[in-house]
Amino acid sequence: MLRLIGQRLIALIPLLFIVSVLTFSFTSLLPGDPVDLIIGDEGSEEQYEMVRERLGLNVPVFERYFIWLGKTVQGDFGTSFFNSVEVWDSVMQRLPVTISLAASSAAIALIVGLSAGIAAALRPRSWIDRLSTLGATFGQAVPNFWLGLILAAIFAVKLRWFPATGFTSLTQSPIEWVRSITLPSLALGFSSSAAIARQVRSAMVGVLQQDYIRAARAQGLSSQRVIFKHALKNALIPVVTVLSFLITILLGGALIVEQVFSINGLGSLAVTAVRRQDIPMIQGIVLVSVLIVVFIQLLTDITYGYLNPKARSA
Amino acid sequence: MSDSRKNAHRTSLLAVAIPAAVVLISLIIISIGAEWFAPYDPLQQSLRETLQSPSSRHWLGTDDLGRDVLSRLIFGGRIAFVAAVEATTIAIVLGVPLGLFIGYRGGWWDWAVMRVVEAIVSIPGIMIAIVIIAILGTGLHKAMIALGILYSTAFLRLARSVVLAEREEVYVKAARVVGAKPGRILLRHILPNIAPPLVIQVTLTIGAVLLAEAGLSFIGIGVQPPDASWGTMLTTASTFMALNAFLAVPPGIAIVVTVLSVNLLGDVIRDSLGRGIVVGKSAATLITNDFTPKNSIQEEIPQENDSNATLKVKGLQVEVSTKNGEEIPVVTDLSFEISKGETLGLVGESGCGKTITGLAILDLVGTGGRATHGSIKLNDTELRALSAHQLEKVRGNEVSMVFQDPTTSLNPAFTVGEQIAEVLRTKQGMSTKAAWAQAIKLISRVGIPNAAERAKSYPHELSGGMAQRIAIARGLSCDPLLLIADEPTTALDVTVQQGILDLFRDLQDEFGMAILFITHDLAVAADICDRICVMYAGEIVEMASVDELFSNPRHPYTAGLLTAMPHASNRNPPLPTIKGTVPTPQLWPSGCRFAERCEYKQDICDQPVPLQNGGRLVRCLRADEIDLKEAQ
Repeated sequence: MLRLIGQRLIALIPLLFIVSVLTFSFTSLLPGDPVDLIIGDEGSEEQYEMVRERLGLNVPVFERYFIWLGKTVQGDFGTSFFNSVEVWDSVMQRLPVTISLAASSAAIALIVGLSAGIAAALRPRSWIDRLSTLGATFGQAVPNFWLGLILAAIFAVKLRWFPATGFTSLTQSPIEWVRSITLPSLALGFSSSAAIARQVRSAMVGVLQQDYIRAARAQGLSSQRVIFKHALKNALIPVVTVLSFLITILLGGALIVEQVFSINGLGSLAVTAVRRQDIPMIQGIVLVSVLIVVFIQLLTDITYGYLNPKARSA
Repeated sequence: MSDSRKNAHRTSLLAVAIPAAVVLISLIIISIGAEWFAPYDPLQQSLRETLQSPSSRHWLGTDDLGRDVLSRLIFGGRIAFVAAVEATTIAIVLGVPLGLFIGYRGGWWDWAVMRVVEAIVSIPGIMIAIVIIAILGTGLHKAMIALGILYSTAFLRLARSVVLAEREEVYVKAARVVGAKPGRILLRHILPNIAPPLVIQVTLTIGAVLLAEAGLSFIGIGVQPPDASWGTMLTTASTFMALNAFLAVPPGIAIVVTVLSVNLLGDVIRDSLGRGIVVGKSAATLITNDFTPKNSIQEEIPQENDSNATLKVKGLQVEVSTKNGEEIPVVTDLSFEISKGETLGLVGESGCGKTITGLAILDLVGTGGRATHGSIKLNDTELRALSAHQLEKVRGNEVSMVFQDPTTSLNPAFTVGEQIAEVLRTKQGMSTKAAWAQAIKLISRVGIPNAAERAKSYPHELSGGMAQRIAIARGLSCDPLLLIADEPTTALDVTVQQGILDLFRDLQDEFGMAILFITHDLAVAADICDRICVMYAGEIVEMASVDELFSNPRHPYTAGLLTAMPHASNRNPPLPTIKGTVPTPQLWPSGCRFAERCEYKQDICDQPVPLQNGGRLVRCLRADEIDLKEAQ
């Protein structure tokens, strides 16, 4: 298992390197001079040089990359082009909000997806099977933010069961947190739960035909034990792969769904930064998101290893 | 697939394809003629008519600036159409050539580009789009360039994989046609191969672009107001939700219907290109039937036997349901007994129903199969009369089974020790600790050295022979009265077969269970069994002790099997085989089922043949007349 984790970590190095180079090169890809962008048309020659030096643009590009990388690794993501706010601070302030939305959506997707998928596998062509097929078809076509709007219109504006906007953190008030996160996570988690249900169903149908399932039943193990222990552990192997992919999608989707509910997460930070072409801020947001995605993929790899003993020794 | 089913499949495809195509074609026509179709200018404001509900003047109402929602919806459709075409074209133009190039070139180029692609794929797509838009600026076309770049990775990977798949073959051809450049041949090879997946990828991309465009415009970095796009219309709807919730409905429905149509049409194309995965209906029924409670017994069970055999099977008939829902018998009129400490061999060619017989005893036939007639008595308990729950108690405790292939009959996800200990815990109520200790003892008992260490292994870490020993240990863990061994040596290397047979013999001496030993190999049966039941086409054709059967077969089929058996002594003459094949259950004749292949066939063989007992159980009308020894 340790070897598996080690291998995965080593495999991450080229990925992180490429991401860092791509992220770094945003500055050079910008049309026009970022210095002009900051000081505007009225800046003097001295101002220009000052800003240029502050941004470190007066050294060769290779050197700049390593300086930037060195700082970034230490958590120094620089300051926003537009105010002296530290990028790291802004990102860290918004991150928990986005993560809590993405994580609760993932939880909903997993719970709904697993139970619907297992039920559909055990009773093919039953109503739950048809419903999850229908859900999967619609899940790919319904924009999560529109679903959010509709949910908000019904359950927040009309019925007033949940707040229509805003976010309360878990540490502030757990009950309010649940109230504020329910509608956004349902909106975001819907299509993923249908996708997981389809995956679980097809994996489960395949596993239930295996010899070892019949053998376990021949040993007189109960249906529950055979399904939930012997079959499920094997059926989850392909599902975990899909899950890591889905979490990346959920994290991206969170950026948009946040806007529906006026939740101040990474999404609104990113949108503002894009509109102002605030490059350091965007770099910071991208790098942090990549790190999170990479971390989640590592987690799924470990889960995969736990579920599939063959992957551990390989 | 039968013709009628094929037609039904085609009809259901058309039922999806036609409405989807109609939606998309009308969308395209309306977008092109937006000026002509829209009742108002989409940008024309009317501050006296803001946020109105649908009316005859404004069919879908008005927005916050009094603009006509229907008109904006129509112009938004044009933007969606332009967006889809633009981003998909960019994605193809960027992705396909680059993919072809790196696939063809290979080496460092391939490595570097693929790492970049992996990096892009691992970041949330929306993030990539945001970054590119940050560089290019906002607006429809810039946003579509961003999406084009994002989705080009899919086309790149697709083109690359097609080239890689075709490369090997192409080089061989190029070498043969001297002078032909591989590049040219490659192109000719790739075009027909890349077209189908490309079409599929295009439909997937269009759906994704439509959703992404709406999303980006919604958060304000795609299409910019006042231009009408479905995404920006939803931004307005979001702001004025409390005042007019209906605003969110038209653009949302438009997006859903359009994307749904594209996806469904894509599915149809995928299916008709032959790459669709048809969810097997037979697989589905298999599972349902596997877990539905046992059907009640349909007829009286004969209650006569009073011998004290461990297992008494009488008049057993097993039926399975076919794909058309028909129930066909696969085992008929089967009767045998096994006493304590005895080993009965069930021998026959594959497909003769011997495995199904073994499974039917435990009611584990699956595939919609079950025993429909006859009696299965274990000591004095009628197994067919038990409820599903009672039968579950019998399995493992009183009857257990060892399967053919240990590498598939042991669960790959658990250690072998756990798989034995689990049975001990659940069936015998042992504590975790005691069960583990007992599991190790059993593993050691079946001849595996270092049992404590081995118990922690996973099935894939063991050799086939060792894994089968584990399966046997599991089967015997609750000291059953009857062990059903289904071809337990067939999947194993010849060199370990003998060891497993010896193990069965030893364990029988020690535990005293009855064994039903199913095999197609007469030599194996001769080695391990006391008596042998020869099965052919779902029925017993002859039953006798090993010595009698081998020295004096009475059924022509038994004789044929014996002649076909390889002998170590004379390998040189070619092995005789029985001509013809076993008829499938649907084709069983009403008379002797072996008649078609039998050299002794006469007219009387067309009538049903009972199992006769003239000193020997044989199912042949001519058993007394023909001299099989001579033929041998």
